[in-house]
Amino acid sequence: MTEPVLSVRDLVVRLSTGRGVVHAVNGVSLDVEPGGALGLVGESGSGKSVMSLAILRLLPRGGRIASGQVWFGGRDLTGLSPAEMRTVRGREIAMILQDPQSSLNPVLPVGEQIEEAIHAHERVTRRAARARAVELLGAVGIARPEEQLGRFPHQFSGGMRQRVMIAIALALRPRLLIADEPTTALDVTVQAQVLELLKELTDEVGAAVVLISHDLGIMARMTQRIAVMYAGLVVESAPTRELFARPRHPYTVGLLRSIPRIAGARGALVPIDGSPPDLERLPEGCPFAPRCAWRIDACWSANPALAVDAPEHLVACHNPAEPAETAVGRPIRPGFAPSPPPARREGVA
Amino acid sequence: MRERLLDVEDLRVHFPVTRGVVLRRTTGVVRAVDGVTLDVREGETLGLVGESGSGKTTLGRAIVGLVPPTAGSIRLRGVEVSVLRGRRARRARSELQMVFQDPFASLDPRWPIARSVEEPLRLHRAGGRRERRDRVLDLLEVVGLSRRMADRYPHELSGGQRQRVGLARALALRPALVVADEAVSALDVSIQAQILNLLQRLQGELGLAYLFIAHDLAVVHQISDRVAVMYLGRIVELAPAVDLYREPMHPYTISLLSANPVPDPLVEAARERIVLPGEPPSAAAPPPGCRFHTRCWLRERLGDPEICRTREPALRETGPGRSVACHFADEAAASPVARRAVDLAGGRT
Repeated sequence: MTEPVLSVRDLVVRLSTGRGVVHAVNGVSLDVEPGGALGLVGESGSGKSVMSLAILRLLPRGGRIASGQVWFGGRDLTGLSPAEMRTVRGREIAMILQDPQSSLNPVLPVGEQIEEAIHAHERVTRRAARARAVELLGAVGIARPEEQLGRFPHQFSGGMRQRVMIAIALALRPRLLIADEPTTALDVTVQAQVLELLKELTDEVGAAVVLISHDLGIMARMTQRIAVMYAGLVVESAPTRELFARPRHPYTVGLLRSIPRIAGARGALVPIDGSPPDLERLPEGCPFAPRCAWRIDACWSANPALAVDAPEHLVACHNPAEPAETAVGRPIRPGFAPSPPPARREGVA
Repeated sequence: MRERLLDVEDLRVHFPVTRGVVLRRTTGVVRAVDGVTLDVREGETLGLVGESGSGKTTLGRAIVGLVPPTAGSIRLRGVEVSVLRGRRARRARSELQMVFQDPFASLDPRWPIARSVEEPLRLHRAGGRRERRDRVLDLLEVVGLSRRMADRYPHELSGGQRQRVGLARALALRPALVVADEAVSALDVSIQAQILNLLQRLQGELGLAYLFIAHDLAVVHQISDRVAVMYLGRIVELAPAVDLYREPMHPYTISLLSANPVPDPLVEAARERIVLPGEPPSAAAPPPGCRFHTRCWLRERLGDPEICRTREPALRETGPGRSVACHFADEAAASPVARRAVDLAGGRT
């Protein structure tokens, strides 16, 4: 087996706010294969974005890696000095965010920003950097690149700005690209262009990808493997086709049953009850238990560990869904009822 | 056939583009809505799909009276509403309500939610204080919130709960039509499914009609009886939802279907996509002839017919309840590209 490009082990991230401590990432382990694309799916507050910031050591003020390791190129990134980390960022790991507007400098022409990225990591002449910038803009599908070098970010549309970001991200042929909701702000026809471009260029450069998105359609298109996150934990992880064909975690089943589809007869959606947990006050047991139709007594007291369910398929659940149940989105077992919350059972408030 | 509730005829909403602060002068006109004709019947959902800049939001705002039309007419049960003043205008307005994408921005953060829901009742002097309070509590229950939440503030609620509050407020005056502008776009998928189901339940219970504006084709498919597709200020296709997704006739509709990511990895692997070149042109300078011709994939295949560049196609009827604005709609509908897009969107590989 090949060595993973990125190996995250038991990562725990805490964010201190004025009011309390947010348990944003609560022990995540995952691997990214060379040249592969790993999708991180989850809803807001699932920890998927915080985790990617932690990998790059770009956590906001008040955020810290409490424990765990991030193995990349034989080193644990959590132990690097800020200067060492700067050479990793951009050069070996690049990042694309949802809103390119906030990652581009509004008062600097885009050409200079691309050249700056090249100069920051490579000793090349100005002329060579400029030639590379032109080549990169052309590669991301921007017409007449020489003329565009002097233009400012606001003179580009959202789709064009995202193309510029991709050009900057791939300028140094990184081994890993982290893309956090890269097309969420774009229209569907422009999204299709940008996704196509991302796929093409990362293949060409040979970069592995961590793609963060809430859109399961994009995940189906772009990834080979998916990790589903909930409340700062990976609750299920499997090859993309396997995950869609045989989801095991009730949360994954819920997500798949919540999305409207054009295919087939139009049936009622089966939403997941309730809302995500408060990350400042995580429950003792499984964080999904209060919303779960499959919960059993154990779910209220013990948080299940991520364990092998089938080859390549990991799930963290005491009572996973059976294949027949995933189609209807609820348990179909004679006499089964979700376990009531312990407070109600014991009569304590 | 159901009674016609709303008739929009040749509606135009143009915004002047101005330059200068002291010497303000008009330098151009953005034709956000540029000749739209459509109707909404009692109790039905008309979906309105389009990308940014298509004018779908402006159209919705003009219908509820938030922006004045430049020309054309908006009739509610046969009565022209855009010219009404005083009490009669308020009466008409109360029947046309709007729900916004970001409920947080549309609720006053300093008010408990009960007050936000009550506000339209106060403005329309509906009942005494006691009656209004009772009505507010009833409304909260109708949208699936507990009465105990009445005195909470918006920041104490989740996104889904806030969207329910926005809906309760829109329902306060017993409207006949609710314009929902990207009302579920900002929500996580599990919550989005809850709100879509709620909208459908309320429609059944209260006989509401919706103008459901969204960019997500699958979401629109889930909820709509008929669908209108907008591009650069005009409707390019309007059809019963079943027909539009089974047999799209406008090249733009076909490319939207083709670009839409399908949550099925097998479909995505089998797919060749029509990737439209470029981005929608500016509504300040729409292309001559057919507005879509600059990005149209069909035009090239037909050998670049001159008519596409010179004459704007009218929205013409092609079948019962269906109309399309394309000189070559039959060719588009019959093309293998269209068949493929439909098969894939429908999950047939």
